[in-house]
Amino acid sequence: MTINQAPLNTKLIVRSFTIHDVREFSDLESRLMHLGFMDGEEIRITRKAPLFKGPLLVEVRGRSVALTSDEAGLVLVEVMK
Amino acid sequence: MIPRIALVGMPNVGKTALFNKMTGSFQRVANFPGVTVEKKTGWVSEHGERIIEVVDLPGIYSLDATTLDEKVTKDFLLKKEKDASADLFVLVLDATNLDKSLYLAIQLKELGYPLVIALNLMDEAKKRNFTIDLKLFAEKLNALVIPTSASTGEGVKELVAVLKNELSRHEKLTLSVPENSQKVFRSPAYVNGIFSQIDRILDEVTLTKLRPDHFSDRIDYFVLHPIWGIVILFSLLIFIFQTLFSWASPLQDLIESGFTFMGELASSHIGNELLKSLLVDGVISGVGGVLVFLPQIVLLFLFIQFLEDLGYLGRAAFLMDSFMRKIGLPGKSVIPLLSSHACAIPGILSTRVIDNFRERLITMLVIPLTTCSARLPVYSILIAALIPDVGVPGISWLRLPGLMLFGLYMLGFVSALLVSLIFKKTLPHSSPSMLLMELPPYRIPKIKNLILVMNNKAMIFIKKAGGIILIVSIVIWALVTFPQKDGISHIEESYAADIGRVFEPVFRPLGFDWRITTALIPSIGAREVVVSALSLVLSVDGENERGMTEALVHHFGLGTLVALLVWFVFAPQCISTFAVMKRETNSIKWPVIMVLYTTTLAYVAAYLARQAFLIWS
Repeated sequence: MTINQAPLNTKLIVRSFTIHDVREFSDLESRLMHLGFMDGEEIRITRKAPLFKGPLLVEVRGRSVALTSDEAGLVLVEVMK
Repeated sequence: MIPRIALVGMPNVGKTALFNKMTGSFQRVANFPGVTVEKKTGWVSEHGERIIEVVDLPGIYSLDATTLDEKVTKDFLLKKEKDASADLFVLVLDATNLDKSLYLAIQLKELGYPLVIALNLMDEAKKRNFTIDLKLFAEKLNALVIPTSASTGEGVKELVAVLKNELSRHEKLTLSVPENSQKVFRSPAYVNGIFSQIDRILDEVTLTKLRPDHFSDRIDYFVLHPIWGIVILFSLLIFIFQTLFSWASPLQDLIESGFTFMGELASSHIGNELLKSLLVDGVISGVGGVLVFLPQIVLLFLFIQFLEDLGYLGRAAFLMDSFMRKIGLPGKSVIPLLSSHACAIPGILSTRVIDNFRERLITMLVIPLTTCSARLPVYSILIAALIPDVGVPGISWLRLPGLMLFGLYMLGFVSALLVSLIFKKTLPHSSPSMLLMELPPYRIPKIKNLILVMNNKAMIFIKKAGGIILIVSIVIWALVTFPQKDGISHIEESYAADIGRVFEPVFRPLGFDWRITTALIPSIGAREVVVSALSLVLSVDGENERGMTEALVHHFGLGTLVALLVWFVFAPQCISTFAVMKRETNSIKWPVIMVLYTTTLAYVAAYLARQAFLIWS
């Protein structure tokens, strides 16, 4: 699943942007990586705006990152067991 | 040749404060060639002699640049010709956010830059229990590390000493920038490599860990709450506009009585009638009438700077994002839209945070509809003429004029939103811009910085009053006074009346007679001038608010004043806004469209408002 489909306040592991990935990356994807959304990173959604696909707040590398639902849709995650 | 160093680092790490401390008063602000990004240059001096040139580069997080400001810094850093670049780079790091600042540090180290690191905000980090092994840290980064506190100036002397020493024994810069660097810099393998280095270095050098900042999380629970967040945002806005009126008025009274006193002094001591008229009716009344609004304008800048330093503006962007996207704007446009309430020019410049040109353009086009501080004097005087100063029944601290002012701000803001919806439907589509950003931790704004900003804004406003407003006041005075008949002026036969009458037919449907159209002409230079221009054509003291409002009601009637008020919500646009927009869009087309649509809107709205008022009353 992607971040925007994942549950709130649950430990998640990023499964996008693996080191073997060699395609061209967009500005948006690059920004995501630079903020710490890398394969294996542990993240947590701390807030979801409920109305009309509002933005999300995600904790990554100890920081709060705001992103829209569409942007969150670019990052694959799985729930940590 | 004076050796040159450049300051690099993330935004908001105190780079500019450090720059100020290093260079003192030896500074110059220009643009980088070909773009409108500010380039600050200063000089470190010793015994009055300039010894080191310092360039303050726009803040960047990494060498993967996506915005204009970032591209400028990246180009400067990666430049091959040495004379266009710098002999040495000072990297400013945020000790309270090393995890993030280290990214650029490691990138630069790997490319072979000779680095001197200013480890800034170390005092704040210590307060949060953070200590590191500085020697090991310097070794790991292959750089000289000097702990600094740019706000107090601690460590700046040591930094300059180190720079002098390094520059004297400095060898030629050899960089190993990879081919196709953009692709390399954004490959997951590369990014991951840097992150693992950050983790390793921090792990090795940290002696005691930084206490996490739960404070921000707790506040954000309410501030970013879908309902409470919006309630807080709007309460803040109402509070700001309310205090603009109530806090500023004692100071305004003081300024007002000062100018009245000066006017009386001049009247009783000058014999020559023409000279007396020039000083009292032209200079004192004109300049005084505008300077009276200094407290309100300075307060507004104070509030906006306070919210920015606090870290609130990014939160406002988060709260408003999904709503703003519905009308064609990204949440980030909240920042330029809010700051344009101080002045449209910084507002238009701050649209650079929006990475998509179409959305940036829409934001720029609607910014002139938000109420800038130059409209405040006009609003104040017209509200005073139209609305009695009484409390709202039941809530006595909430007063009608303050509420009316809030209403006018909302009218401007809501129109900006509606117009952007129209532009959204008409301008060709493109992919949406990003929200993606880090929300900074809350920081208590530094009073010193706030005072600095207030002082700067006050000086700019006073200079304007002494410059353009003084000139305009004298010109209008002359146009109103001449030609004289037997040494007596008849305003109905003055040059001003002739000019005003040319435009009168166009504005007659709005109820504007030649006196108003005459006063409107100089407002294209600066809107606040209209107050003094009106005082001149009505021959009353500009700084005497009571007399002014009575004269306005007496001469024009309420319906026309309503139309005038509405006119000023939408138009006219000042020359500086036009110029900065032309520069930022790099075309004449967009500023022309902006002026045309705002003027049309102003005309129609003022006409409708007047008709509605006449029917209703």
